[in-house]
Amino acid sequence: MSLVTEIGSQLLFLRKLFLTMVQKPLKIHEIFVQIWKITVDSLLTTAMAGFFVGAIMAVQFGLPIREFDALAYLGGLATSGTFREVGPLLIAFMLSGKVGAYTSAELGTMRVTEQIDAVRCLGADPLQEIVLPRFLGIVISSFFLLAAGLMMSVLGGMLMAQAFAGIEPEEYLRHIPRILNPISIVSGLVKCGCFSLLLASICTHKGYFTTGGAKGVGRSVVATAVTTMVGIVAVDWLTSFLGEVVMIAFQGYR
Amino acid sequence: MIEFRNLVKRFGDRTILNGLNLKIHEGEIVFILGVSGTGKSVLLKTLVGLLSADRGEIWIDNEEVTHFSEEQYLSIRKKCGMVFQHPALFESLNIFENVAFGLRRHLTLSEEAIQNQVNESLRLVHLVDIQNKYPAQISYGMQKRVSLARTIALKPEILLFDEPTTGLDPITTTAVNNLIQNLSRSLKTTSIVVSHDMNCALAIADRIVVLDGGQILFEGTCEQIRRSEVPLVQEFLLEVGS
Repeated sequence: MSLVTEIGSQLLFLRKLFLTMVQKPLKIHEIFVQIWKITVDSLLTTAMAGFFVGAIMAVQFGLPIREFDALAYLGGLATSGTFREVGPLLIAFMLSGKVGAYTSAELGTMRVTEQIDAVRCLGADPLQEIVLPRFLGIVISSFFLLAAGLMMSVLGGMLMAQAFAGIEPEEYLRHIPRILNPISIVSGLVKCGCFSLLLASICTHKGYFTTGGAKGVGRSVVATAVTTMVGIVAVDWLTSFLGEVVMIAFQGYR
Repeated sequence: MIEFRNLVKRFGDRTILNGLNLKIHEGEIVFILGVSGTGKSVLLKTLVGLLSADRGEIWIDNEEVTHFSEEQYLSIRKKCGMVFQHPALFESLNIFENVAFGLRRHLTLSEEAIQNQVNESLRLVHLVDIQNKYPAQISYGMQKRVSLARTIALKPEILLFDEPTTGLDPITTTAVNNLIQNLSRSLKTTSIVVSHDMNCALAIADRIVVLDGGQILFEGTCEQIRRSEVPLVQEFLLEVGS
């Protein structure tokens, strides 16, 4: 399938999902089940990853900042960097490997074992019953996981700063509100939203249109992993670039 | 009555159904046989709108349904219950909810009526006391029977079976075949069975249709098929020693 056909098919699928969302009642219970499942299943790994990313950021910012005798600002800088860029990217990669692959395999298996056909024959819409709850579950869960990952990154940075730079936790936290401005928070949230939308649409699309039995499921999972990884990096660049353009255009922000 | 007129279905360059014409009368049990890839399952799926025909017409009870929308097909799918090659049970739902799935969506019934209907359907396929179990907790043969119960719970006028005995042991195969015959006769349904099982076809079919190359190679009663000199039909008969 050519890239253009692939993108076209993806966009048509998204359009169908959107129409299903606005025209048919949402399966609220199933959406909550998915949010709970995705959040709980990924919480530990996300928290651990967040902790170590915070620690890494503290070490990486700590080295140049020490030269300027500005270690007091370490907490603010490390946290701002994590909120704006590393946090959302990390959550997206974690979700891609874990939830994206799982969802693609789950939907693919449902397709090749005719469960999706059975849903249609039994008078239900598979997009409404099966796909949309998973799609929304991934998007909504990613924000909860982002919050958990970011909190743990602050903790990781704080402990690392105390252990290796001798910065007291109060000192580390004191400058965070000064440097972590609303733009950083909005930027992180927008990136998180874009990454999760991309991931949810790719994994549900690949899974839903799986063909070719067990081999086909394997192909869908691999395609989901590869496409989401490349897509996330591309969207990261795009959102950063567009964010800068918007800021410069409307606020003269630098 | 079901009628396929000059039905054509292609997947890319491959023509699966190539101008197929077939009539199935009310109350008949028709077996459709053929080697793999001849379009048997495709024929059933086009009938219930899971696949769309590229050309030709499909008629059900004097109504052309070929170009029905997904919403219009709902009434057809209520009328035509399909049992898939895989049990296709929903793993997150227990057996009760699996059987009740179609009832909750196609009909407006009280919880008590749903309970009764589920019990009755499971009783017809000889399954009791498994309502709270999940598909993964029962055998493959039982899953197939639950799948059948889920289909008959809606009391369809037409039953479609897509290789119902594939992957089953001989004893369960016989049990499922007996179920097909008994259910079709007792519920007075029209049944179309896609199968490789000539033995079973000879035992319970009113009429047997053999497909080859997307068209009908042979069509007739069990007696007629036994006397057929068509090579592919003879190969099928040799398999069962008839």
